[in-house]
Amino acid sequence: MDRYQFEDAISAYLDNELPLSERKAFEDFMNTNPDAKNLVDSIRTNMTSFKTLSPIKASNGFMPNLHKKIEFEKNRPSKKIVNRPSKTLFGFTPLYAGIMTALVVSFITVGVNLWPESNSPVNTLPAYTGNISGSPNPDPRNQSIGTNQEAILAASESDSADTTIQKKKNFKLGNQVKFVKDQR
Amino acid sequence: MNQLSPNLSTPPFIMDNQFRYTDEELIARFQEGDEQAYTELVNRYRDKLMTFVYRFVNDMEQAEDIIQDTMLKLYTHKHYYRNIAKFSTWIYTIAGNLAKTELRKRKNRKVTNISQMGPEDRDYELPSVAPETDEVVQSEYIEKKIQAAIQNLPLHFRTVTILRDIQELSYEEISKIVEVPLGTVKSRINRARLQLQKELKDLK
Repeated sequence: MDRYQFEDAISAYLDNELPLSERKAFEDFMNTNPDAKNLVDSIRTNMTSFKTLSPIKASNGFMPNLHKKIEFEKNRPSKKIVNRPSKTLFGFTPLYAGIMTALVVSFITVGVNLWPESNSPVNTLPAYTGNISGSPNPDPRNQSIGTNQEAILAASESDSADTTIQKKKNFKLGNQVKFVKDQR
Repeated sequence: MNQLSPNLSTPPFIMDNQFRYTDEELIARFQEGDEQAYTELVNRYRDKLMTFVYRFVNDMEQAEDIIQDTMLKLYTHKHYYRNIAKFSTWIYTIAGNLAKTELRKRKNRKVTNISQMGPEDRDYELPSVAPETDEVVQSEYIEKKIQAAIQNLPLHFRTVTILRDIQELSYEEISKIVEVPLGTVKSRINRARLQLQKELKDLK
């Protein structure tokens, strides 16, 4: 044990917190160094002196003054004594909880009004109700519908033919576009 | 326990030692609104804290003000105490923090102590503090020397020394009060004792 280790261990020695082996090394160092022993004795004397210091007592006016301070604090309008945590609803104060509820209700109402109704017709074309498989004895009640359907199909074919011609024209126009090199 | 009176100025009720409440039980009762439990806590800790704070700030009036503020905080912030720490640790921490704040304020005000003045600044003679034969005077002299030596310690050494060597708290409690690791507390106490030994070398 050197001098630094010895000084570091003084308090632990005086408080009886040194392990036995270290305690023995400490005492060996102390016995071979009278200065070290004097130092330990001196610190021990100081510690004893501290324990004999007279206790400090509060004055007789302590409690009345404290009582006055408490009364003043109780009556202070700006700073109220916290007795209990304020009432909350799911962590919100009643005011904020009300505002949050109103917002949620309004969102739901707006959402319901904007949502499309499920039973409204999406397709404007009437549904084909004829016999697709082409049965040999068609129902005479559906004959008028069948002729109607044929007319609709013919019209749609002519429409698609017109669209194809238009596309071809556009394609020709597209071929006239020349690619130029990037001048940048 | 008898029906409790909320009047703090009444003398504290005497509890039979057999049924003596712990600090933690008292603060729990106070949190439920029992003001007599508060009075009992004040009576238990008033003088202990007074010794601690006086040794820290070295001024009786200021020490008493700080203890009153500590007890006021206990009253107004009673629900801040949670039963995970000892009540004594909690109340010492409050008092220690208030004392440090007071010292900081004092430092900012730059109050000049009479002892720091030169002889030409003094308007009156201070009584001599030299030791006399009388035993009482001798013990007063020793006490003044010790108090002066404590005041010369840095704040972080001063706190732990008072708590350990005057208040006789355990290292673990001190560690919780000053909120530093146990090893640091031990090291600080050791260094503070060495420094005090140098200051009080001639005191036998």
